[in-house]
Amino acid sequence: MLSKTSKQPTVFASRLAGILALVALLGLFVFPTATIARNFSGAGTLWLFPRGIMDLSGFPPEKIPDLALAGTLNWVLAVSLLVTVIAAWRRQSWLWMAGLLSLLLGLVCAWAFTHNLGLLSQELLANNVPKRRIPYLTGGINMGLLFPVLSGLTALVCGLTASPVWMQRFERFRGILIPFVSILLSIVVGSIVVLLVQAVPADPSIKLDFAHQWYGKLDLLWFVYTTLFAPLTNINDLFQSLMLATPLIFTGLAVAFAFRTGLFNIGAPGQLTMGAIFAMLVGVYVPLPAWLLVPLGVLAAALGGAFWGFIPGVLKARFGSSEVINTIMLNYVAAGIFVLMLGSDKLPFFGKEYPLPFKSPGFEAKSYPLQEGARLQPLSSLLGLDQSGAALSWSPLIGIILFTLLFLLVRHRYRALLAGTAGVVVSVLLWSTLKIPLDNTVGSHLNTSFFIALVCAWLFAIVMWRTTTGYELRAVGLSPKAAEYGGINVSRNTVLAMTIAGGLAGLCGTHYVMGGALDEYVLKQSLPTNVGFDGITIALLGQNTPLGVVVSSILFGVLDTGGLYVDQRLDALNRDIVTLLKALIVLFIAAQGFLSRKITSPPPAVLVKDLEKKEGQA
Amino acid sequence: MNWETFLTTAFLGSIIRSIAPLLLAALGGLFSERSGIVNIALEGIIIFGALAGAVTTQLLDASLGSAAPWVGWIAGALVGGLVAWIHAVISIKYRADQVISGTAINLLAVGVPGIVLGFLYQSTTESKQVEHALPQWGLTEELTFSPPVYFAFLMVLITWYVLYKTPYGLRIRATGEHPKAAASMGVNVYRIRYTAVIISGMLAGTAGVFLSIGNLNAYTKNMSAGIGFIALAALIFGKWTPVGVLLSTVLFGFFRALATQLGGSNLLPSSLVDMMPYVLTIIVLAFTGKSVGPRAVGKPYEG
Repeated sequence: MLSKTSKQPTVFASRLAGILALVALLGLFVFPTATIARNFSGAGTLWLFPRGIMDLSGFPPEKIPDLALAGTLNWVLAVSLLVTVIAAWRRQSWLWMAGLLSLLLGLVCAWAFTHNLGLLSQELLANNVPKRRIPYLTGGINMGLLFPVLSGLTALVCGLTASPVWMQRFERFRGILIPFVSILLSIVVGSIVVLLVQAVPADPSIKLDFAHQWYGKLDLLWFVYTTLFAPLTNINDLFQSLMLATPLIFTGLAVAFAFRTGLFNIGAPGQLTMGAIFAMLVGVYVPLPAWLLVPLGVLAAALGGAFWGFIPGVLKARFGSSEVINTIMLNYVAAGIFVLMLGSDKLPFFGKEYPLPFKSPGFEAKSYPLQEGARLQPLSSLLGLDQSGAALSWSPLIGIILFTLLFLLVRHRYRALLAGTAGVVVSVLLWSTLKIPLDNTVGSHLNTSFFIALVCAWLFAIVMWRTTTGYELRAVGLSPKAAEYGGINVSRNTVLAMTIAGGLAGLCGTHYVMGGALDEYVLKQSLPTNVGFDGITIALLGQNTPLGVVVSSILFGVLDTGGLYVDQRLDALNRDIVTLLKALIVLFIAAQGFLSRKITSPPPAVLVKDLEKKEGQA
Repeated sequence: MNWETFLTTAFLGSIIRSIAPLLLAALGGLFSERSGIVNIALEGIIIFGALAGAVTTQLLDASLGSAAPWVGWIAGALVGGLVAWIHAVISIKYRADQVISGTAINLLAVGVPGIVLGFLYQSTTESKQVEHALPQWGLTEELTFSPPVYFAFLMVLITWYVLYKTPYGLRIRATGEHPKAAASMGVNVYRIRYTAVIISGMLAGTAGVFLSIGNLNAYTKNMSAGIGFIALAALIFGKWTPVGVLLSTVLFGFFRALATQLGGSNLLPSSLVDMMPYVLTIIVLAFTGKSVGPRAVGKPYEG
């Protein structure tokens, strides 16, 4: 209890803050500080503090931005980091102030640099240079500035752990500790792979001595990871990312739902195939008006998947055969049914041939196109973004972030209401100020299915934590024997869980077939069933919570989109680096992020409080 | 095509060739699961083995000549063992859910080959063809097989002997049934499980080697085609015994060969026949019932 009474940050927290601050301090001098410009193949012109400019591209920009202010700030930042190191070393209660100072200095320094780059770009724009020819647009901060910011943030958080009130607030985030550490670890391992596989991108005219290699390698890492996350900053790429995220939300929820009931659903690939087939059947062949056809199609997709989840559910409940093997087998069966239906328009049977009506004529295995009425609208056209002169406001994003922060940090009866109101008010107030006109129109297959996915996530939460059914499902998941003893029908809940899980995966059909995510409103051979396996990763990363699933899906959507750019811009690396990162995340989550149990699941705070009280009385 | 096509020695040969990798992987699974560790990672390990076998052979082709594939085989088995070791560390040392850990390995097997192939051959889907694949030994022209096939059938005997006639086998079985009891008799549960999982990885790696340089002469994407999973099913169907595994892999191998043979015929759509082993697995599993497997399988041991 020493740490509680003396108001010192905990040993672990201060050690963490200290090490990171030390790394950041050294990093200021040995990492590239910022990138001034970068050519298409990834070679950059780097600013090294305090050494000056190093060019790897062979064509440095004509003008170098003014580095005086940023340079001075960097020296101040170095001092601030040194102070943080000392504060952490001595476990001072003012560690958080040192952290805050480094954080602010880091941000101001980054701002100063980007501001100067922006000035140069504007100068060129004023001279009518086309935008894509301006080298400064591809510049920005680099690892040298990122680490101080991160270190400042960590020191701030770690320093605040000295206060019990803040400690309690941070408790709420303990759930994201394992996913967070796993992502970090996979980034570290991924970095090793990147370094092994990819040579430093540099112009052949440059002789790569040790310094060039060192800074080039570090810049390469920075380049790869920023490229992977770059879709967050571009509206078209963001739409693309959300489009790729939509099916992941469905399959992630499908795996998570079964997980909550103690079942391992590896069958999402098959379930989504069946959902897509059912959606296609309704969309192509059922003659109904649009207002009936769309809901019927959505229902059909869910039913198709649900049917494919029901089978292993029944087999498990009735015969006790493992759902793991059965769902895997059903994946292959679903793939077989798909090929049977769409692979050929004839069905050979003992020497005779029967016609099959599903495959549209042509070389590719695909169905006939869906009727107009069965199609889901693209979101870009719903928002009016596919016209020229369109603008988008990002104030709702600020609103959502504000809502989440308030919701998690405030402890009050009406915190949901308070946070909600604050979020709405802020996004309305900022609506017109944060409006950004779009350079080009947004065209994407992101469609209404995205909202269906969000609604599913919301329903998941309601059913799982607000209904008796959800209570029973979770009880079976925690301990089937105890649930049975408590009068819960385990078999029924097993079947129910697998059926609902299947239905969720099946809803992918609304995205791929009805939403036209396969580039056409048809069911095609290119149906990416691998998304079903990604659902496992998503569910694990999201810790089987609906919010976690949505957030991780969007993260994966972004990485998948960014992976395409890595593929394009670097010669040896391809998008499989993203697949590797995903696999590593699962591996590390399986090992609980290699964290000790003391950190991941300490005794509940309530219990600790009670214990303290008892100690006080005694 | 008519029924006589199926009474040829060529068809028999193709059945045996489809049994071999299944058998190797299933026997691998047998070691692992008898020691209490679910090895759903077999599928991924096969891919790693196939990749390592093909790449090593291809790289050593020039310097070693016809000895290269043998080194490739060893490399494939070792890499298989190494990958299995990762699975073992995560699920034994860190007490992870074994199915999740195995799934992670399978996901790794989706990503890593692309990176390795991209690095070595600037391709994401296949390796360069090897000049010297494993030799083909046989009696008649149609019944020739590469050494891993003979090894697979020999392994049934060896597995049976090791499992039932040696102290090590007894320890494996004891660890899988009741690790605490085994530990109280002085058995090092961790060591037994580690070795069993690594053996299982080496066998699955050999299955992969057979696919890439025993049956073909290059690594291609998705060449495992679910063999690892079917091997697991065969393991359950065979009730976790070497002979049972042999019999069930014969059944599954027959269907796989049949599907290949029927592709392009007008008897049945090949996709329908492709599905058969999987449907068969589901039906069979329903009637095999539960709890015939090692009692402690899937449960992390805390000692």
